[in-house]
Amino acid sequence: MAEFEKEVSVLVQRVVRDISNAFKKNPNIDEIGIIPCPEPRYNRSPIVLVETKLGLESWCVKFLLPSLHRKLLLYRQRKNYLDREALVDVTVTLLLLNPDFTTAWNIRKELLQCGVLNPEKDLYLGKLALTRFPKSPETWIHRRWVLLQILQQCYAQKDCRKEQGEGYLCHTEATGSSQNLCTHQARLLHQEMAVCSEAAGRYPSNYNAWSHRIWVLQHIAKDNVEVFLDELSSMRLWVSMHVSDHSGFHYRQFLLKALVTELCKSPESTATATLRQQGITTSGERAHLKDTRPAFGLEESCKEWQPGVVTVPRLFDLEVDFCSELIHSYPGHETLWCHRRQVVFLWYQWRREHPNFPGNTNEDDALHFCGISKDNGQACSSTETSVNGLTCGGDAMEVDGLPDPQDATLVKRGLLMSCSLALHAEHSYVSSLLDNCCNLEQRRFALAYKKWLGSIIRQ
Amino acid sequence: MLFSCNFLSSASVVHEGTPVKDVVIKPDAPSALILDKHADYIAAYGSKKDDYEYTLSEYLRMSGIYWGLTVMDLMSQLPRMNCEEITEFIQSCQHECGGISASTGHDPHLLYTLSAVQILALYDNVQAVDVDKVVQYIQTLQQEDGSFSGDKWGEIDTRFSFCAVATLALLGKLDTINVDKAVEFVLSCMNFDGGFGCRPGSESHAGQIYCCTGFLSLTGQLHRVNADLLGWWLCERQLPSGGLNGRPEKLPDVCYSWWVLASLKIIGRIHWIDKAKLRAFILACQDEETGGFADRPGDMVDPFHTLFGVAGLSLLGEEQVKPVNPVLCMPEVVLRRIGLEPDLLS
Repeated sequence: MAEFEKEVSVLVQRVVRDISNAFKKNPNIDEIGIIPCPEPRYNRSPIVLVETKLGLESWCVKFLLPSLHRKLLLYRQRKNYLDREALVDVTVTLLLLNPDFTTAWNIRKELLQCGVLNPEKDLYLGKLALTRFPKSPETWIHRRWVLLQILQQCYAQKDCRKEQGEGYLCHTEATGSSQNLCTHQARLLHQEMAVCSEAAGRYPSNYNAWSHRIWVLQHIAKDNVEVFLDELSSMRLWVSMHVSDHSGFHYRQFLLKALVTELCKSPESTATATLRQQGITTSGERAHLKDTRPAFGLEESCKEWQPGVVTVPRLFDLEVDFCSELIHSYPGHETLWCHRRQVVFLWYQWRREHPNFPGNTNEDDALHFCGISKDNGQACSSTETSVNGLTCGGDAMEVDGLPDPQDATLVKRGLLMSCSLALHAEHSYVSSLLDNCCNLEQRRFALAYKKWLGSIIRQ
Repeated sequence: MLFSCNFLSSASVVHEGTPVKDVVIKPDAPSALILDKHADYIAAYGSKKDDYEYTLSEYLRMSGIYWGLTVMDLMSQLPRMNCEEITEFIQSCQHECGGISASTGHDPHLLYTLSAVQILALYDNVQAVDVDKVVQYIQTLQQEDGSFSGDKWGEIDTRFSFCAVATLALLGKLDTINVDKAVEFVLSCMNFDGGFGCRPGSESHAGQIYCCTGFLSLTGQLHRVNADLLGWWLCERQLPSGGLNGRPEKLPDVCYSWWVLASLKIIGRIHWIDKAKLRAFILACQDEETGGFADRPGDMVDPFHTLFGVAGLSLLGEEQVKPVNPVLCMPEVVLRRIGLEPDLLS
């Protein structure tokens, strides 16, 4: 037995050292995994490194985990000494195997506080752990703590520079715009968005990844209309490819709500915030996410912003259009119908709270212009062509009754956009969809939506 | 730990060309409650300490014990568990700061502080730990905005607000924190679908909704909930199989069935779902050979889903088990002994 324990101890030390060396030699490792392998095949290390992927043969995990776990807990109870280097190595291996081991992350927090660890390195460790465990709550929690440390440092430096009268080197003051982020924050923001996207891709409706993304925006890009618009446009493609991902769509709702709040703060200035050409476009043009787009708020990206106007009604209008397209293209997805509810509810609430906001024209006139009779809530006539040139058949809602697509476009771009979201239009939309729908699930969701419109939104 | 359901599996049923995320209950699935088997399963679970499995889940040990003991108590089998050993274990987990950890050597956290106090309440022995220190620990975790961090490192979540008030309510010390501020924070996490998320702006999630409605019940603020709107959202969690999911387009799961059902009970809308179908779904998640419940029919059983399966059946009116309290997931009789009666909407 003693012999066996000794062997295990030697094995564990070797594996921990090999993992540590693998990271030192290959700082670009971007994914970790366990290689199914019940028995050791050769007398060689169970660590396998192929290009940027680090694998661990499964047979060694059952020895490795309990042994390191005991070692760390004995240290925590002051029954066993581990030097700082050993602590760093042991926690790396343990957390890559079991990232919800809260106490191991806490030990790393303490090492960070006394300067033994670099915060960026810890963000990297978390990112790797998420490649295997994309939901791991403790990994996300630790990540937020590390980010707060970095941000505090960033703010402290900023204050210090200001005091020294050097002028703040960050972009903020260079352009005189409070909308922009300093280079470091912009890089951090970009990095976090990438980590969230990766984890969101690995596990559908990943609550922890998406609520982290929201947290990051709230802490790094608070009140930043440009960043929010950028996110709204870049997420368009992602949600189009993940039409069942409720969390992804919730994120859009969050962005919309935040943008509406911001745009209403100062109608004369921010309500006419420029809209990036590549970003929110008309519903007919698919938004393109440029792979090489520069970090948020940096000078280069500002050049891409073209004149254009985004108003609250327009935001809602575009979102409902987008939702209609998706419902039409991917029938029977509950998430899309939930999204519609949220957007319409948010819009309805906003209309009620801002009756005099520019663009909120008289409802009766607006409905009249849209060819919708208020008495029966139905479109006066219908057309096979929607404004964006796509044939939507009965699904087209906004411009029913407008004979010429060219005119429709004009109306759509015009002042009457808010009316397209009117409740009557929603009823009309769902009725016409039901008339032409034979997909059972789609019918079920459409009927539930109709019922919801009738009872909830009138409360 | 509240909702640590990480048992990944997927199923897709095709109805008329549209993929519906649900399961099909086979005709030979269990349809009768096999309580004896479940009690044997839980009694044996604690005694087998496979090194690897034990290590992997040690970070939530205290909650594991709470799940096991509560389901045993609901089945009137609590005397089969070793009260003395468990009480000593809990004592060994209380730290200088007053907080309690998941196991010895681990760091204290609100999640495990609540589990420990729940276990001691089952044994009518909260005095086994230093209650004043527990209260102090919770007080120090309340933030200026009324929220609670889970431990000294500062993570904020509505789950922790629930843990704080649930622990204090069990100790009869709810007046030691700023309840008004705490309520204000939880309400700031309400979404326009009537549900709640982990922080302001976060997505509604059945687990968070359970925590927030439970929180508002314990603080006497249930009238602040839009019960019809929230009830609507919760009812739509029921799938054709009868099981409930935690968010749209997720698979049904026994633990989410509990969180949704308990929330509906708290806001007085439990009659809005098809109880018979839900009961059939939960019963189908039993393993007739080993005892215990799984997340979905045919999957591996565990104590976590076993508690929520039995507790769900209790809320649905199963007479073979003790009535369960929807807010604290503990036998009603235990709460009556303490004199705690959380509000429910009618």
